[in-house]
Amino acid sequence: MKEQISYTEAFEELQTIVSEIEEGEISVDELSEKVKRASALIKICKNKLSSTEEDVSKILKELEKGTDKP
Amino acid sequence: MPEEISGKTVFSLYEVAQGIRATLAKAYPNSYWIKAELNKLNYYPHSGHCYPELVEKRDNKITAQMRSNLWREDYRRINAAFIQLINEPLKDGIKILLQAKIEFHPEYGLALHILDIDPGYTLGDLEREKQESIKRLKEEGLFTRNQELRMPLLPQRIAIISVESSNGFADFMKVMENATTTWGYSFFHLLFPSLLQGDKAVDSILQQLNQIKKVAKHFDVVAIIRGGGGDIGLSCYNNYKLAKQIALFPIPVITGIGHATNQTVSEMVAFENAITPTKLAEFIIQRFHNFSIPVQKAEEKIIDKSKRILEEERAKLKTAGKLLVSVFGRVVFNERAQIRQGIKILCLQTGFILKTNKEAIAGIPKQIGKGTEYLLGQQLQQLELTTRAMHRGGGVKLKDSSQGLIRLMNQLQQMAILGLKENRLALQAVEKNLENLRPEAVLKRGYSITRVDGKAITNSAEVNPGDLICTTLHQGEVISIVNPSS
Repeated sequence: MKEQISYTEAFEELQTIVSEIEEGEISVDELSEKVKRASALIKICKNKLSSTEEDVSKILKELEKGTDKP
Repeated sequence: MPEEISGKTVFSLYEVAQGIRATLAKAYPNSYWIKAELNKLNYYPHSGHCYPELVEKRDNKITAQMRSNLWREDYRRINAAFIQLINEPLKDGIKILLQAKIEFHPEYGLALHILDIDPGYTLGDLEREKQESIKRLKEEGLFTRNQELRMPLLPQRIAIISVESSNGFADFMKVMENATTTWGYSFFHLLFPSLLQGDKAVDSILQQLNQIKKVAKHFDVVAIIRGGGGDIGLSCYNNYKLAKQIALFPIPVITGIGHATNQTVSEMVAFENAITPTKLAEFIIQRFHNFSIPVQKAEEKIIDKSKRILEEERAKLKTAGKLLVSVFGRVVFNERAQIRQGIKILCLQTGFILKTNKEAIAGIPKQIGKGTEYLLGQQLQQLELTTRAMHRGGGVKLKDSSQGLIRLMNQLQQMAILGLKENRLALQAVEKNLENLRPEAVLKRGYSITRVDGKAITNSAEVNPGDLICTTLHQGEVISIVNPSS
């Protein structure tokens, strides 16, 4: 289950769930589903905090290509 | 002295130069205040002297140009005054008000000998340039353009415009690396080296911004970091071109240029400006905190709140369960009593019905037997008759048979009636006999009944001497005593 959701979306959705749960808008029937979703979102957010996927050599290559142009 | 050569008066070059010098000295005996643009300072560090190139421009075209000399001691004094007043050294491209003597040197030609430069004039000019940059950017609607961009929640990928060896860069990296070890925040940075102060800084920074623009999709933010150079040489950040490039940059540009004096235009238009590189790094870290803390809190809140919801539900369920047991217990109890009562009634009624039906049923086989036997007999007889008639008739028509049958039936009926009449007569005879046997009839014929203690006696042995006996006649009774002697 790999969701293509950005960390920004994950963060915002998580905030929504938190406020829903705080305001008592979540019934016991939905609870399990929401908690499951929230923990997936938290995972996405925490992963983002502790990892970056940029590659210096790739950027430098792109820069060279750009500079070669007249 | 000039000589005569071939009838011509001839001067030596030196004599001409001396002549010009003398003439100029006579014509311009004093020093003068002159305003000009310092196109090139031409400072020679080895000698410490400067040979500034002065120009005057109109509509960007040079209309006058003159060399000048600024000797070491004068330069030091003037430069110090500039730095003190406007935080800028003497540099290329500024407008100056200079005090100079017009001098002609036979060997070097015409030059202005600069005695003094008024930093106040340059300050005013720089300030005017700054204000003009601000005004223009505002008029063009660019002033807040970069600030209107949306910075990613986590500015993780940072393009840094700085100098690797500078204190500012080191300060910035120190804070960032500390955040990685302390909180596990992850960053990516790439350094785009540039000059960061003085008049060459504008072009250098612009060039690197253009480079970053090409790979902007790999970055969340551009950080311009400078530090350790004091407050000097920052007027380049008021440059209109640089400020415009920052304002129009496709991703947020943040600045940590490190100074205590007035904000420059570049800092004003930047997405975020921090006083120092350290503060700028802290600004980024704060963004991470703003993301990380709610995530942590969300985890706690959700766990806590979920527990509470479940507890509440459990309590509700428990109460409801209790209520249910109590209500339904009563209902079940009542129902059970009714059912018991019903069973009792049912048993009684069923028993009764069964009994009744059993008797009726028991009679049925006998009736069926009798009925069947009788019907069978009749059928057989008819069959026999029919058969016989059929045999007898042979070719006689069925109509005849049926007529015969009817006749037969009539005969049977008459015979039955006759039989019944005979039987009735016989019965009447029996009835008469029975009448004769009645006690009254017998007594009438002279018989009597003798009783002892109300009991009829049929044997003399039943009577003892002295017994009181009662003899019933057709009419009346006789009481007598049995002779005791017999």
